[in-house]
Amino acid sequence: MDNIYLQQTLPQVFADFNITTSDIWLKSVCFNKGEFYLIEAASGTGKSSLCSYLYGIRRDYEGSFLFDRTNIKEYSITQWTNLRKESLSLLFQDLRLFPELSALENVLLKNNLTHFKTVKEIESLFDAMDIKDKINIKAGKLSFGQQQRVAFIRSLCQPFDFILLDEPISHLDDKNGVIMGEIIVDEAKKQQAGVIVTSIGKHIELPYHTILKL
Amino acid sequence: MRLIWKLLREHISIGQLIGFFCANLFGMIIILLSVQFYKDILPLFTEGDSFMKKDYLIVSKKISTLGTFSGKSNTFTPEEISDLKQQSFTKTVGIFTPSQFKVSAGLGMQEAGIHLSTDMFFEAVPNEFVDINLEKWQFDSNTKVIPIIIPRNYLNLYNFGFAQSRSLPKLSEGLMSLIEMDITMTGNGRSEQFKGNIVGFSNRLNTILVPASFMDWANKEFASDEVSHPARLIVEVKNPADPTIASYFQKNGYESEDGKLDAGKTAYFLQLIVGIVLSIGLFITILSFYILMLSIFLLLQKNTTKLENLLLIGYSPFKVALPYQILTLSLNFLVFILAIGSVYYLRSYYMEAVSMIFPQLPSNNLFPTIYIGLSLFAVVSTMNIIVISRKVKAIWIHN
Repeated sequence: MDNIYLQQTLPQVFADFNITTSDIWLKSVCFNKGEFYLIEAASGTGKSSLCSYLYGIRRDYEGSFLFDRTNIKEYSITQWTNLRKESLSLLFQDLRLFPELSALENVLLKNNLTHFKTVKEIESLFDAMDIKDKINIKAGKLSFGQQQRVAFIRSLCQPFDFILLDEPISHLDDKNGVIMGEIIVDEAKKQQAGVIVTSIGKHIELPYHTILKL
Repeated sequence: MRLIWKLLREHISIGQLIGFFCANLFGMIIILLSVQFYKDILPLFTEGDSFMKKDYLIVSKKISTLGTFSGKSNTFTPEEISDLKQQSFTKTVGIFTPSQFKVSAGLGMQEAGIHLSTDMFFEAVPNEFVDINLEKWQFDSNTKVIPIIIPRNYLNLYNFGFAQSRSLPKLSEGLMSLIEMDITMTGNGRSEQFKGNIVGFSNRLNTILVPASFMDWANKEFASDEVSHPARLIVEVKNPADPTIASYFQKNGYESEDGKLDAGKTAYFLQLIVGIVLSIGLFITILSFYILMLSIFLLLQKNTTKLENLLLIGYSPFKVALPYQILTLSLNFLVFILAIGSVYYLRSYYMEAVSMIFPQLPSNNLFPTIYIGLSLFAVVSTMNIIVISRKVKAIWIHN
């Protein structure tokens, strides 16, 4: 997948409002592979909705999303499953970890599916994100900031053309935010992937090509 | 897989699964045992004439003293036959064609120096009533061998009466079918030699039966052209316990040879009772299926968030449904194995008693029961698998 096109898209709940200031809703937007995008938004402007639409979780929008000219409404369950395994990664805002599994198991659950990273690589990512000592602790017992880092590591355990990061550093301190930024740049370069980051204020420092206001 | 199982096994209710397991096992045992019992016991009532169709009656007119003296015919007219054909209980009617020539048969064993010879007769019924390999039931004009079915009583008469009193060797059915009889047919001014080969023994047909095609040919060759009316009819009925049969026979002064209706009736009631028990077993099985489905639905409902998240991180609905499908499949399979085992065990109990009372009962095997159990297992499991897949897909769509 090389491009993501948005054509006159708008969440259905916004249909009655007069949207004029957005760079995305009701506009034609194109995200290219290999480029970095920051989407800045005030809360309630549909930031997580956008991620849900792109990831195939929700379809309550008008207009159309195209992946390489294919309307994503036409994707089958199998196509979505493959997409989520091989070309599109999402760091959920609400993380969606499994609290009863340990931090490592949460990551392995994804990696067992893709076999993308070795256990060693995963461990070194835990190390880099400064949560090596939490590796065998149940995810439910971790703080939200720690969980955010586990979910981030999990989102890296797959090949991707685009990675969507929905408020990735909302609960991280600056130091960890910087480390996360470095890892993202590193991974994106390796895979020549596009990075789409959303933020409602504090945003992760990346060499953005484009900054859009939602 | 291990991790998924670790996630999804949570909220599994052991109590519910045990409930399902017991109910399903119970239902399955009832179904399989009744089938097995039916298979085992039925031969008692049908007295296996393996080569005759099941539900038929042999009908003749009553022979009364008055009738004999007044010369009243005891044969059936074509009108009477067609009337019988039109009765609601009738499936098909066949006529016994008697031989209209003289037959004498000899049985010889040169080595033993025995030669028995007797005058006798042949009768034939249409091939459709004789459930024997048609290749065997064919007159071969080259070798001149006639296949014959004789009443089992004849053999008993010889073995227990004649042979006993004269210290002659007893003959088994197998040996009898190896012996060739010399048959001489005389009529129409001709006489010809044939060989007879016994291909079967009948408990229910009190006659010496030859193939219908042979009879037609022989009657043409050895008898004058006169048409004879049949004295006996063979009637295939839909249900031998039908009360209209008895009343129709009584009205027309027919009788059916000895108590064949009774065996039919008993077999019918056996069918009825087994049918009732079978449906109870089926009912329990269906209920247990519902218990399992409810339990699995509840489980899926409780684990919805987890299933959703698994689907979101790239697990296919197939992979997510698989652990639950394996769970139900193994439960069903365990039930199947245990049910077959129990039937085997229970069967050995009643078979011991039954074989003491009826030692001649042919021994059956468990295979039909295993087939039925296997197909039940397949049907229930397929339904489980489909329902679970659809439920998981529904979670996806809901997303």
